[in-house]
Amino acid sequence: MFGRFGKKKGNYAYTVARVKAKKSHLFKDDAYSKMLLMSLPEISRFISESGYSEEITELTGKFEGIDLIEHATYRNMAGYFKGILDVSTGELHDMLAAVLQRWDVWNLKVILRGKSFGIDPDSVREDLVPAGELALQELEKMIALETVGEVIDAYCKLTETVIPPEIMDAYKTDGVLTDIEDFLDKEYYRRLLESIDPSSKPTRLLQDYIRNEIDVVNLETLLKLKVEGVVGEQAMRFVIPNGKEIDRKTAERIAAAATVEEAMGAMSKLSFYGDIKDALADTGSLTELVSVLKKVHISQARTFSHLHPLSIIPIIDFMIHKEIEVNNIRTVARGLASGLDRDVIKDLLVVV
Amino acid sequence: MSVHEVTPTRSVLLDLKRRIKLSKSGYKIMKMKRDGLIIEFFEIMEKAKKMRESVTSDYELAMEKITVAMAVEGEIAVKSAAYALKTEPTVVVGSKSIMGMMVPKVEADLSRSSILTKGYGVISTSAYIEEASKAFEKLLETLVRAAEIETTMKRLLDEIEKTKRRVNALEFKVIPELEEAEAFVEFRLEEMERENTIRLKHLKRKGEAAAE
Repeated sequence: MFGRFGKKKGNYAYTVARVKAKKSHLFKDDAYSKMLLMSLPEISRFISESGYSEEITELTGKFEGIDLIEHATYRNMAGYFKGILDVSTGELHDMLAAVLQRWDVWNLKVILRGKSFGIDPDSVREDLVPAGELALQELEKMIALETVGEVIDAYCKLTETVIPPEIMDAYKTDGVLTDIEDFLDKEYYRRLLESIDPSSKPTRLLQDYIRNEIDVVNLETLLKLKVEGVVGEQAMRFVIPNGKEIDRKTAERIAAAATVEEAMGAMSKLSFYGDIKDALADTGSLTELVSVLKKVHISQARTFSHLHPLSIIPIIDFMIHKEIEVNNIRTVARGLASGLDRDVIKDLLVVV
Repeated sequence: MSVHEVTPTRSVLLDLKRRIKLSKSGYKIMKMKRDGLIIEFFEIMEKAKKMRESVTSDYELAMEKITVAMAVEGEIAVKSAAYALKTEPTVVVGSKSIMGMMVPKVEADLSRSSILTKGYGVISTSAYIEEASKAFEKLLETLVRAAEIETTMKRLLDEIEKTKRRVNALEFKVIPELEEAEAFVEFRLEEMERENTIRLKHLKRKGEAAAE
């Protein structure tokens, strides 16, 4: 499914033209400032007048308030992504499918967690975001299965994934999903990188972007573990290979440091160290650092967004912006509904 | 006990004296218990005050963290992470004695679960959710300790009230009534003694007159 050899190049011109049309509907940066001054019903109305009307109308009977906004925006995003995936062909389709497999993994986790906790199938179905390659019907079939083991088997069959037997054995022994989830995350990045043919400049840019993302994820993971006192080899288990700047040696140096302050030395050579230095000094919380890392990573996308108009780059750029839009709408709506200070909400927003 | 209900006999007087002695020693002990409980109450109250402040601050922090996590990651992600949790806190409610009064002793196994054993993936679960989870674990710990202290404080208050009522009853009712009864019996016995003496003198005089 993800092999790139012997594949047709793909309909770049057509897919990019479709995406360009969709991109014009995205919110401008000042839309969030306007939304910050609105009430929840006003936000619902504002977004329904800005391209989310179908989903808002469809879900009004099921949800209300902030839940309606969250589910409608996710459903809208899933529709967009699915639409792009459906119209793309050849290697472009394969690359996009590999990028969007993140949502398949997300949905699988939602199903597994719901199943292991004993949540009713309807509630699990409501929480799905079918933005990946797997259709909603396939996900629903997985929800209908009896056990976690059956769900994993069905997913592996659909996506041709092989979960190592020792991970499955560990799950059978303790019933904890941690190892399976971590394997799925690593496998997602492995497949994604494998699906990208770095022979052209645009795909090399995409590859760099994904490898930067791996760096960001690895750094967050190592620091999260460090705060919990998990260091060294134990922490290295969770490192995703093939990062751009954080190679195995750097990761080992960061993992070996006992505290975040000690790890700062190992991070000093990273190109984005200047951006995260101040956030690293905040020893009490990692959220500031995570927020900065996310913004640094997104800003990298800005550097290549206008290059290579007939490549995968404009499509990925649209997907990034769409996801940011959905996340920002939710952040504003939920922040306002929970009474968060407007300045705090503004800091949480990602504006590219 | 009404004075008029008392039979003025020597055995009743002895019984009254015994009861007065017992009541006075009971009164002394109860007063000491009341004072002890009050001292204990003030100590617990100080702890409860601090605990309430901790509950408030921990609750505010936990709510702030969960609000931010839900805003950034979405309710679905937060809910989903919560479903993955495998660790459950266990609470055992026992009891301990403070000056003979039984108060609850809450023993809870709230050892904070490590990120590795929580049940969700380490890589994909964001720091926002992790920090919210930690803040709620801390809140739960504080709540359990606060529950123990608050219940102890309420039990202490009830016990102080009860002891105070007993001390007052002994001081202002039981002991004065017993003392009054004792005084009455003593007075009646003396009276009877005097009557007896006069009667004897009268009989003696009558006997002497008859002999003459």
